[in-house]
Amino acid sequence: MNINATLLAQAVVMIVFVAICWKYVYPPILSMMKEREKRISDGLEAAKKADDSLEEAKLAFDKELNQAKAEAAEILEKANARASQIVTDASSKAEIEAEKIITSATKTVENETNKAKEELKKQMSKIIIDTTQKILDDEISEEKHNDILKKAAEEL
Amino acid sequence: MASELTTQSYITHHLTNLTCGKTPSGWTCDPYKVDQMGFWAFHVDSLFWSIALGSLFVFVFRRAISKNKDASIAPSGLQNFVEMSIDFVEDNVQSLFGSVKNTLIAPLALTVFVWILLMNLMDLVPVDFLPVLAGHIAYLIAGDAVEWIKGPESLYFKVVPTTDPNITLGMAFGIFILTIYYSITVKGFKAFIAELTLHPFGKYLIPVNFVLEMVNFIAKPVSLGLRLFGNLYAGEMIFILIALMLFFSSIPVGLMGFGLHLVWALFHILIVALQAFIFMALTIAYLAMAHETEEH
Repeated sequence: MNINATLLAQAVVMIVFVAICWKYVYPPILSMMKEREKRISDGLEAAKKADDSLEEAKLAFDKELNQAKAEAAEILEKANARASQIVTDASSKAEIEAEKIITSATKTVENETNKAKEELKKQMSKIIIDTTQKILDDEISEEKHNDILKKAAEEL
Repeated sequence: MASELTTQSYITHHLTNLTCGKTPSGWTCDPYKVDQMGFWAFHVDSLFWSIALGSLFVFVFRRAISKNKDASIAPSGLQNFVEMSIDFVEDNVQSLFGSVKNTLIAPLALTVFVWILLMNLMDLVPVDFLPVLAGHIAYLIAGDAVEWIKGPESLYFKVVPTTDPNITLGMAFGIFILTIYYSITVKGFKAFIAELTLHPFGKYLIPVNFVLEMVNFIAKPVSLGLRLFGNLYAGEMIFILIALMLFFSSIPVGLMGFGLHLVWALFHILIVALQAFIFMALTIAYLAMAHETEEH
């Protein structure tokens, strides 16, 4: 083991290499690494923000969708109600109309029947009177005849 | 140099640095004149690999930036590796340094960690590969021109810089200087001297305090450098001994050496990374201590 000037030479060489590293090697690499680190953290932050806004948009979309669904349901319900209303109205109108028709028809029928009855009565009375006149002939005066007619009509 | 290969010459060959220095007869790298060089000699192989691997570190990390400056593109491959290393260093600096702001610490820690890791990794290159290659190249190029290169094996070439105490202690020394610099600039000269002289016994025993604190103060860089050196030197030594089993023994022992080599290499990966990490962590810790202003 012999110590000689190599020791001093190595110390000088070391100082030179450390100086080179200090001035030209270390700072650019470190600054590049720091820059990249910052870029990555910025990117992550931006991604997180985008994620958040996506979440927000999703929420807004869901809200809108639900609202639209509710509206649609409401409209549908209203339409249904209206439709059933119309049907009910129509059917009740029809019923009333039908009732009216029936009533009037019944009335007409009644009237006709009454009329026919009256006519029949009249004809019947006339036939009876005629027959009776023929039977009684002149025995009954005009006066009596009318009297009988009246009685018969009343009895009928 | 003896032309026959003995166990001792093999080991010596692997543990000797290629040393160039000034001798009375001028500059030379002759291994037989190392004794005459004194202090002003350089381990050319250690420094070569240290600078080469340091340059590799700077090159790779610079390339990762220039390739992809745009922060919006996802990083891949090399850049991922570079950013992982930086994240790792940043975490360690953060945990040891806390709130103190000093832009030098993290680059220093990164350089120290990656550089030492690369130097330690040279230990995993088979022990003979690069020295023999370097010896042959040197012999081919300079065999005729240089008097002391007599054959491929006359060139010593150690490939793991961290097994050279000069390298590890040199780095520890650099960190020691930084520690003193920050101690003085952050705490102030007075507080720094006070820290060295007024603990642990108060102002009436300043000499004793100074001796105790000085031991503590000097021990830090020395232990930092020697820990790394010791671990890697021992690892290298074991690789050399295992390599000896392959070349100097019978076939069964050679096969055993083959298996041992694999096992030790696997285990050594752990040491390589661990020692680099320890060196870095202690570097950060010592500098953090230099920044601590409160009394303890």
